[in-house]
Amino acid sequence: MSSDTLLIIGGGPAGLEAARGAADLGCKTILVERLSRLGGTPISANYAALTHGMRDASEVMGEMIAAVDGDPLVDIRLNTSVTACSGAAGDFSVTLTRGGTDETVSVGAVIVATGFEHFDPGRANQQYGYYMYDDVLTLQDAEKMLKEKNFVRPSTGKPPERVCFIQCVGSRDRRIGNEYCSKVCCGVASKQAIEIRQLLPNCRVFIFYIDMRMYGYWENEIYWPAQEKYKVSYIKGVISEIVMKGDRLMIRGEDTTMNRPMEVPMDIVILSNGMEPSGGTKAIATTLGLRQNTYGFINVAHDTLDPVSTSVPGVFVAGAAAGPKDLDDTMGMAGAATMKAVGAIRRMARGAAIKA
Amino acid sequence: MAYGRQGPRIKEKEHALVEGIDLPGHWNRMFETRVITDYDPGTLDEITALPGGESLGWCYQCAKCVGVCPVDIVGDYGPRKIHRDVLRGISLLDDPNLWLCTTCSNCLRVCPKEVDMIQIMPAAREAAINAGKDIPAELQKVFEAADRYGNPMGENPRKRADWVKQAGVPVPIMAQVKRPVDVLWYVGSYPSYHPRGMDAARALARIFHALGVDFAILGVEEKEDGDSIRLAGEKGLFEKLAEANIKTFARYRFTRLVVFGPHELNAFKNEYPKLGGEYAVQHYTQFLVEHLDRLKALMVHPVDRVVTYHDPCYLSRHNGEYEAPRTLLRAIPGLTLVEMPRNRENGYCCGGGGGGMWLDGFSRDHTTMRLSDKRVMEAAETGARTLSICCPYEVSRFEDAVKATGNDGRLDVQDIAELVDRSIGAPERG
Repeated sequence: MSSDTLLIIGGGPAGLEAARGAADLGCKTILVERLSRLGGTPISANYAALTHGMRDASEVMGEMIAAVDGDPLVDIRLNTSVTACSGAAGDFSVTLTRGGTDETVSVGAVIVATGFEHFDPGRANQQYGYYMYDDVLTLQDAEKMLKEKNFVRPSTGKPPERVCFIQCVGSRDRRIGNEYCSKVCCGVASKQAIEIRQLLPNCRVFIFYIDMRMYGYWENEIYWPAQEKYKVSYIKGVISEIVMKGDRLMIRGEDTTMNRPMEVPMDIVILSNGMEPSGGTKAIATTLGLRQNTYGFINVAHDTLDPVSTSVPGVFVAGAAAGPKDLDDTMGMAGAATMKAVGAIRRMARGAAIKA
Repeated sequence: MAYGRQGPRIKEKEHALVEGIDLPGHWNRMFETRVITDYDPGTLDEITALPGGESLGWCYQCAKCVGVCPVDIVGDYGPRKIHRDVLRGISLLDDPNLWLCTTCSNCLRVCPKEVDMIQIMPAAREAAINAGKDIPAELQKVFEAADRYGNPMGENPRKRADWVKQAGVPVPIMAQVKRPVDVLWYVGSYPSYHPRGMDAARALARIFHALGVDFAILGVEEKEDGDSIRLAGEKGLFEKLAEANIKTFARYRFTRLVVFGPHELNAFKNEYPKLGGEYAVQHYTQFLVEHLDRLKALMVHPVDRVVTYHDPCYLSRHNGEYEAPRTLLRAIPGLTLVEMPRNRENGYCCGGGGGGMWLDGFSRDHTTMRLSDKRVMEAAETGARTLSICCPYEVSRFEDAVKATGNDGRLDVQDIAELVDRSIGAPERG
């Protein structure tokens, strides 16, 4: 006997878009979120403005939440985790745990949208001193200050005169074990560089990079204006040493285009830390028996032709649970996963009807 | 050849006769043609084809290595630049850069592609030697001395254990002990012959004696371990020395090998096993830390001074020991330990590793300053009175550097063994 209900795990951008799409198609949906509120990482990690359009993250996520909240077809379960699963496509039996109480639900298909977490720069080999120097930040630390429109040196509480970003921290790095590109950090750093220049017109902003990787709107809306309008300095060559000199950070590296060593004093250094699979992604992969890649992200059937089917029939994936994604990837995947999941449920129902 | 910007180079003669007309001075001015870069990936293939040379081809030019390369800080060097040079047709085998790497491993620490200069450099150096290329004369001399006398200085091998006479305590020689010992202390070439190295060796002998360690040394049977010779490109000579030492070790029974130097630690821990010599081996600081409680009871005399500590590359980055030397220093009463900005994983190289010990003349021609001078300046900036060390290569390098940088009388260089020995009760030296 097949179930006509879709289970969506994760209430971030991917899960919300999938739930909205499923409801629009008239499919009953259970949306499970581990935290006490919807919105995912953009909300829990205090994102300021979202690309494209640089709209306020709470506003954008608020609209996405409003699109499903109150919809009779979407059963939202907060503070809830998926702790067990049996059965097969069309008839999964899934245990939902909330505050120590288990409930078993029957669902026809599952979309996993459990996302990523930010790389912990304490694991880097470059000794950027994230846990040692107050003024060495991650993108998320900077984002929080930008959201509050109060961008200052944590050590002094005063606005910085010089800020730099160091790209590829925890990404494209065999020594750390993350050989992949995290895809969004070039764009996010450039976006933040613009925001810093808007807030503090006298602050100089530098971005030290290996390759700048920005496609589509990132190029025209972010990269070019950052350089042309906001005078952000892009320098090819990644910093590998930060030491204190007086009360400022002294960064060391090489400008590879000039073949020259650099030592530049900075007030704030922002580490463009990449993505890793979230704890929830790794846990759900185990619970559902999904194949993962070397890094712990969920494997998909085909990276270009079928980027949403997993190794288990009836289970699909959307967003950064499958690897580093930006928001437009996530929205596209959510749509594709919904189409496949609802399609699978309907097909099963037809099959069941024929048999009956 | 250095690359980068090429300014206009003017050719101008006082007089030039063109079709019978005299064109003086700037009327005949011409510019030299700029050098246009050609790419000959054959020179990269030449390195990546060597066993150990493969990873040079993996570089993606991020430049993290250059930021932490100790040689680049005093010159114009760095693995990224080597990759670029080799990619555009400059053979590393003919390039002076081949001999500047000290194999300190700081580049490998930060390299996201794991381009491994610790493998690449010895392989390329060996290839250069085998191809009959010109190798620095001072290095050639060391190879010959080590081959002939079993030590890189060319000292008399029969005098290898002469230092024990002034130790003030008995230093048993393995061949005379005629029984198994707990600790076979491999002394090493520099502590056996260099005057300040001998001071440290005697200090350690007194510490062993005070602790009641059951130890012996090989004496005249000991030969240079050869690890730095291997890294400098003479793999054949390294194997010859290693085989001789392995044979000597095989004649005796001992629980563990304790070494004075990090290069010896690296040799016995990581390289000798490949040739069949497997030992439980410890650096002397690691051994002493195991006896810390008893050592603390013995260290009764305060050593009232501010001390900084230099991490030897082959103890720290290569073999992961950062704490044992610091634990010993902190245990000495009266002593205050201060850190240099570049410490632990990011410690700055003294310039002695990978053959650098024997290439000071060559390096002088290609860098602005010796690495040891740079390091001593960093030590002096901390305000410390003593630069403490635990690698026998360093004492001569740093003492020279103290003089060269004008810090004579302000900063001295002491082996950790000497500081511990003083606290136990040896009279102040000098």
